[in-house]
Amino acid sequence: MTTTLQHAPTKAGGGLARRQNFLTALISGVVFAWLAWYIGRHTLDTTTRSFSDQVAVLTACGWTVGFWFGIGALNGPGRWLTGRDHTRADDLYYAGENQGRARYWKYCTDHKVVGVQYIIMTMVLLGTGGILAMAIRTQLLTPGNHFVDQQVYNGFIAVHGMLMILALIVAVAGPWANFVVPIMIGAHDMAFPRLNALSLWTLVAAAGLLLTTLAVGSLPVGWVVLAPISNQAGVGMDFFAMAIIVFTVSTTVAGINTIATVMTLRTKGMTLSRLPIFVWGSVIAAALGLYAFPYFLTVEAIQILDRTVSTSFFVATGGGAGWLQANLFWLMGHPEVYVILIPAVAALFEIAAVMSRKPVFSYRTAIAGMTGLAGLSILVWAHHMFTTGWAPTLGGPFMLTTELISIPTGLFFLVLLGTLWRGNIWMKLPTLWLFGFVFNFIIAGITGIYLSDIPIDNQLHGTMFVTAHFHYVFVGSVLFGAIAALAFWFPKVSGRYLDETQGKISFWLVFIGVQVTFLAMFTSGLRGMPRRYSSYSMIFEHTNFVTTMGAYMIMAGMLVLLGAVISSWRKGEPSGPNPWQANSLEWLVPTPPPLENFDVLPTIKEDPYNFGGKR
Amino acid sequence: MATNKKHSLTGFYWLWFALTVVGVIISIWAPAYLMPQSMSSNMNLTILTMVVFSVAAAPVAAGVYAATAYLLRHNIYRGNSVPPAAEVQTRENARLTIGWVLASTLLTVFLLIWGLGALTVDNGGNESNPLVVNVTGQQWLWSFSYAGTHVESNTLVLPLDREVVFHITSKDVTHGFWIAQMGIQVDANAGAITELHTTPNKLGTFDIRCTQFCGLNHAFMVTQGQVMTTQGFDNWLAAQPQRA
Repeated sequence: MTTTLQHAPTKAGGGLARRQNFLTALISGVVFAWLAWYIGRHTLDTTTRSFSDQVAVLTACGWTVGFWFGIGALNGPGRWLTGRDHTRADDLYYAGENQGRARYWKYCTDHKVVGVQYIIMTMVLLGTGGILAMAIRTQLLTPGNHFVDQQVYNGFIAVHGMLMILALIVAVAGPWANFVVPIMIGAHDMAFPRLNALSLWTLVAAAGLLLTTLAVGSLPVGWVVLAPISNQAGVGMDFFAMAIIVFTVSTTVAGINTIATVMTLRTKGMTLSRLPIFVWGSVIAAALGLYAFPYFLTVEAIQILDRTVSTSFFVATGGGAGWLQANLFWLMGHPEVYVILIPAVAALFEIAAVMSRKPVFSYRTAIAGMTGLAGLSILVWAHHMFTTGWAPTLGGPFMLTTELISIPTGLFFLVLLGTLWRGNIWMKLPTLWLFGFVFNFIIAGITGIYLSDIPIDNQLHGTMFVTAHFHYVFVGSVLFGAIAALAFWFPKVSGRYLDETQGKISFWLVFIGVQVTFLAMFTSGLRGMPRRYSSYSMIFEHTNFVTTMGAYMIMAGMLVLLGAVISSWRKGEPSGPNPWQANSLEWLVPTPPPLENFDVLPTIKEDPYNFGGKR
Repeated sequence: MATNKKHSLTGFYWLWFALTVVGVIISIWAPAYLMPQSMSSNMNLTILTMVVFSVAAAPVAAGVYAATAYLLRHNIYRGNSVPPAAEVQTRENARLTIGWVLASTLLTVFLLIWGLGALTVDNGGNESNPLVVNVTGQQWLWSFSYAGTHVESNTLVLPLDREVVFHITSKDVTHGFWIAQMGIQVDANAGAITELHTTPNKLGTFDIRCTQFCGLNHAFMVTQGQVMTTQGFDNWLAAQPQRA
């Protein structure tokens, strides 16, 4: 830590940032968006067909820049450019020193504050996506039901999908790679604290854009938003594409930060083979994200060009290729699944070891499994395109790579069950959700193998079977892992346990709800019901009714969980700094951890999995 | 109160076996029961492959569930505070890890070989004189024209036991052409022609449903088709209005 004595030491830090918070960001975002809209309307050529799309994109850019400006994201670069870089006092102000709860509404660089902000962001995204899911399932309660307008319903399908994808991308990596990873490796903060704040607030800006799509008219396209159907959508599509572009900025910044932190800031003795397994998972997922998300940005940027300036990269009638877009999209789309899954699995490895009082079984196999999955996942994208008609000759090779995925995935079961095997399993909330994960993940995995097989995929592709399969992955597996991680690290964040009773009620509602919802949905798919239907014939009546009932159960369970989080945060049972008696560093610092985590950085002599028993 | 003393694995093996048997029974019964009645050799193959994959997966799922049940039965710590360290602090078990990888690899290789074989059979068309049907999707209906005739229809009628080749395209956005009883599906893309073939082997009606989201009335882009005897098909074709 350097003290810059040449600056006046008495002057309090912060500068402009003292006046900036979420509210000023919102105001500034809206003002900039309005300015961009106004300028666009009065300078652009109103005679072009894509006029309104151009204005929409400008407005979205205005919102994003305005939001950055209003929250304080541009202060640091601005001061650096003008030669008045941050002083130590400024850095401490930005880290939220002595600001109490106000710092959670600000551009705060403390990784622990960012972690908490990510928890709240995940809950907001999950909640909004969940409300849309309830609307969708209510529409599908009975055949020919008209709960929402058909056009609006189609928009709900797209926005529900994308909100939930964003929610799950950040559900584990957002809160915990930020809150616990720096402490786990023995660091004062992330490598780039300001980028950390940038990633969080950029995500908030992206979420604003995504919700705007619902306000400016529906989006009848499905979450993959591929041309040519996407070109029939109105300005909602422009906001959707801009939301994704802004989101990829957020996730790229976050990924670079995680990797740089673990590469450079490990404390003395924290060798790679002594890293807690969750740190490995975070880094592998971040690296995979850095590979995958640029495709996402590219595909949406080109889509915007096609819509606003009459290029025709993806428009077949203009010499472009819709299949090019589908390829680019799925080059992102499949690795993204493992960007979501790997941190959740790695958190469960951690939980399994601590809660069964045994080391992670076959630590190296766990790393190999995660790495192998990440590596394979970049070679399987075309299985999403088996039935598009693109490159039929490649069917065999992509079937091969896809089915190989089951080998690293099988290793996850080996490590989880091997860790728990003959342990002293402490059946607290995190463990309960861990067992739920094991139950659901095997169903998710096996149903995935059917879909990797082309003759079966020719029947089941595009049906509710696929929807049920990936909901077993995302809800049954990733969400269970995320909630286990929340229950596990909640005491470190709040100093209190997540309430066991409410947590158990929530678990059973969600667990049974998942089985009811998605087993019935598998049946709809097997019977022949396609996806993204706003209405269906009588033959699918019973299974859809059951699915909707199950979905309500999941929602009820999630509301109980939300209640548990809120009430436990305020007045839950105090937990002390190390309620699970774990050995990794995040449990050895006080709760809440002090501003820079450690007064003196510790020296590490062994991995955190020695619980004192016989070897 | 060490709860982690070595319990006999007999119960685990029995449960594994029992669950596997249940899984295999479900695997054999469920696909044909739940899926639409097969009307083509492709669909027969799809259902058979579903059965084979399910049977292969049954011992895996049963093993995981039996292991979980064993853990829940024998290894849950009943005390009130933090459990003591487990007696066995196993970090590695090379034989188990290698065995696990080998077993999952063998299973995967089996599924692959079956899958690639099934794919070859699925793609195989061998008749010299197939019926060629040109399929056009548009928002939100299908139209079918029969090559070599001037017949264009909004319903699809096919003859029994004769290979049909579909040439599929779209006038506007991407649609998904899927015959739910025949196990065949491919997208209808604007500006490209995709191909499917099958041989209907059962008389009766079948459902064509769109599997790619295609806008407002996607859910209503459904058509029924019919498989007729060769004689019935010829009569039907002759009775259709001729396109100019």
